[in-house]
Amino acid sequence: MIKVNYSNKPNTFSGIWIPFGVGLGFLFVVLGIFNLVLDNYILHIITVIGIYIIAATSLNLTNGYTGLFSLGHTGFMLIGAYTSVLLTYKVSLRAAYNLPSLPTLLGGANYQWPFLPALLTGGVIAAIVAMIVGYPVLRLRGHYLAVASLGFMIIVTTMAKGMKSFTRGASGIQVIPHYSNLWNVYIWVAITIFVLWRILQSAPGRAMLAIRESEVSAQSQGINLMKYKLYAFVSGAFFAGIAGGLYAHFTRSIRPYEFSFSMTFFIVIMPIIGGSRNLFGPALGASLLIAMRYLLKPAEEALGVYGLVELIYAALLVSVMLWRPGGILGKESRAK
Amino acid sequence: MYGASYIYQQIFNGIVLGSIYALLALGMALVYGILGLINFAHGALITIGAFCFYFLLFKFNLPFVLAIILTISLGGFVGFLSEAIGYRKLRGGPGLSLLITSLGIYIFIENAIKLLISPQPYAFFNPPFLNRIINSFITFRVIDIFIIITTIVIMICFGLFVKRSKIGIAMRGIAESVETAGLVGINVNQVITWSFVVASAIAALTGFMWGAKYGQISYNMGFMPGVIAFVAVVIGGIGSIPGAVLGGFLIGLIQIFTVGFLPLGWSVYRDAIVFTLLIIVLLIKPMGILGRRESM
Amino acid sequence: MLLKIEKIEICYGIIPAVRNLSLEVEEGQIVALVGANGAGKSTTLKALAGVLHPRVGKIFYKDKDITQLSAYRRVPLGIALVPEGRQLFSTLSVKENLRLGAYHSNDKEFKERLKEIYSIFPIIKERENQIAGTLSGGEQQMLSFGRAIISKPKLLLLDEPSLGLAPLIIKEVYKTINTIKMTGITIVLVEQNVKMAMHIANYMYVLEAGELTIQGEPLKLMKDENIKKAYLG
Ligand SMILES: Nc1ncnc2c1ncn2[C@@H]1O[C@H](COP(=O)(O)OP(=O)(O)O)[C@@H](O)[C@H]1O
Ligand SMILES: [Mg+2]
Repeated sequence: MIKVNYSNKPNTFSGIWIPFGVGLGFLFVVLGIFNLVLDNYILHIITVIGIYIIAATSLNLTNGYTGLFSLGHTGFMLIGAYTSVLLTYKVSLRAAYNLPSLPTLLGGANYQWPFLPALLTGGVIAAIVAMIVGYPVLRLRGHYLAVASLGFMIIVTTMAKGMKSFTRGASGIQVIPHYSNLWNVYIWVAITIFVLWRILQSAPGRAMLAIRESEVSAQSQGINLMKYKLYAFVSGAFFAGIAGGLYAHFTRSIRPYEFSFSMTFFIVIMPIIGGSRNLFGPALGASLLIAMRYLLKPAEEALGVYGLVELIYAALLVSVMLWRPGGILGKESRAK
Repeated sequence: MYGASYIYQQIFNGIVLGSIYALLALGMALVYGILGLINFAHGALITIGAFCFYFLLFKFNLPFVLAIILTISLGGFVGFLSEAIGYRKLRGGPGLSLLITSLGIYIFIENAIKLLISPQPYAFFNPPFLNRIINSFITFRVIDIFIIITTIVIMICFGLFVKRSKIGIAMRGIAESVETAGLVGINVNQVITWSFVVASAIAALTGFMWGAKYGQISYNMGFMPGVIAFVAVVIGGIGSIPGAVLGGFLIGLIQIFTVGFLPLGWSVYRDAIVFTLLIIVLLIKPMGILGRRESM
Repeated sequence: MLLKIEKIEICYGIIPAVRNLSLEVEEGQIVALVGANGAGKSTTLKALAGVLHPRVGKIFYKDKDITQLSAYRRVPLGIALVPEGRQLFSTLSVKENLRLGAYHSNDKEFKERLKEIYSIFPIIKERENQIAGTLSGGEQQMLSFGRAIISKPKLLLLDEPSLGLAPLIIKEVYKTINTIKMTGITIVLVEQNVKMAMHIANYMYVLEAGELTIQGEPLKLMKDENIKKAYLG
């Protein structure tokens, strides 16, 4: 029997979990079918899309819903990626890969963490860093925040390059165990979207929306700006850390500069193009942009026109900004 | 520990790098003062200027002065285009839409250069007279002196332009209130276009300077200097053009000192240090060193 | 007829602030537009200056339709606004404010006009290089007049020039308005202070909640009982 919930807060147990369960079930049936009928290359692409959906959706918590335009998301992805990799890295390979000075706490003398705790630790560390960095940086508004968070990203990537004894510097870490797959990635996609949906339904979510509309009036309504900005920033960073960990254990090799400005741009424009005021906008943006990249990469390489994909992304972004500021799923076709 | 000559050498190098940042910051401060926009696309003009000069001088063998003039003109023209296509329609809308669009324009130009010219860096050769080495108390090339003198000349001209000329005064007026500017009879669009043209033309010239000084140009060379220029604007004090210049020199010196005086492993952090400084300044003195709330 | 407004409606968003307003201004006159706070006086003046554009209706200036012309294009035609609350460029110097008022003339013309302005407003000359924001209220009003007049207007729009000034200074301001009139400039004067306006105007319009209610020559209106009750106390 379908229970109609008239209040806009589905607070009953079933009201929360039924949509989640149904959505997850549906998602997995679809993925199951995909798994049967599609070839490996396409499944690979779909998995990559899933990782970027997590990144873009979680970024949208700050950039879209709270109105804090952050360019630092890939910094948190990097933290999540390196943390989880250092935890799951095979002991037998450590010496060969020149990762000696890892404290036993992280990996143990001859112990290799399972994927899930390693991934979660990556997310948690990213969240902790977000807490520390966010406290000063989130005082800043608009453009200042954009540049300061970009600075954070640059600081993190150069530190990853500089701290050679942990990270092997610019050469990066290879032969990472292959733990991410279609299934666990999409479980995390479901969790991310579900958690975001719950946050947006809750009091903190409404506080975030109020902050986006006007910090001054939010404050006059008694909303603690810093608390909810941090809430958004830290939750976003946690999922960024998860996305980074999934990414590392999928591509199986990471370098500091992978997480720098190109990836930032890539993730930042996903919600904008898809529709930053819609729960599924970032996912749509991620799917679209990555599908496009995989479609065009062969052409780019065959013709030797490197940069074509980014060129198209940029043109798409500017067009969206000029003619459809709400993004594809945006309601209004023109910003007010 | 360090000899006096070494220290002066570092200061000199810092001033040369600082000159470039200061010129970039000048244009950035102008545009920020008027539109409240961090123009990420400003950095792309560096790249455009560098490649434009490279092709004019080495492929088409134009005379040096002509190549410089054409480079500056192209920079101004690209500034005009980006304003007309990208920003004009979005002005007065949500604050961040300009910023996001400028990111898009930056990426567009960067990848257009990557696609049309090369994904590989080019070696940038100087005309021989700029490479002459002068060895005295400190060692430098003619290009270093060229950069410093050009910077001083541009700053004086720019100062006079903003202070004295009708359009310069109008720029400051618009920075204060676009509505009032319109109702007293200022053609606001035209003046804003001019500010982009001037800022972009200067940025294109710094592209040549960068190539001539550091000997290598690439499609993504402009990003970091562009962002650092904005940091200079913030550190110097948003809204203050002298502040932006000061910020530029300060960052130039700090970066050179990071490389010149700190242990070897630290040089990786020369950009990171700039941003750390930015965050500290924003927290301690959000108005920057010379910043006042209102004026340019 | 120098200026003719035909049934204009001006909106902020979807809310109309002025409705169905028609009005005429003859050359050489002072026409007063009075009404309570929020009646739509400033809105009307802004539409005349080109800062706002009516959604319905037309504005003719010297028989030319200027309804959709933007503000900066109206200034060279001879329409200048002295906005409510002065709206000077408070960070620029007095001279720089005047330079922007004369934006459409070159440096040489500007120098000549500057002399004329200084002869009308000697106080301003003394303060030439002072930052406008540091002037006194009366000086600011004079500068605001100067900034408008330096563009050589034929039609001067004054929005509450006495607002926030001391009684003595208000007298000065009204003397200046008279002087300006003598030079042949046509004036549309917006005031809340009906008495002041009545003494100086040739013709008067009363605006209430966005609509014209009464109009006529001040001398006749002064005798009207309703007006007396509502505006003259
Ligand atoms: N910028 C604005 N946005 C929305 N409403 C406005 C704006 N300016 C004025 N109004 C409204 O329009 C009406 C007329 O205002 P205004 O022309 O300033 O009146 P007056 O000058 O006669 O005091 C008022 O109800 C006012 O609230
Ligand atoms: Mg008014």
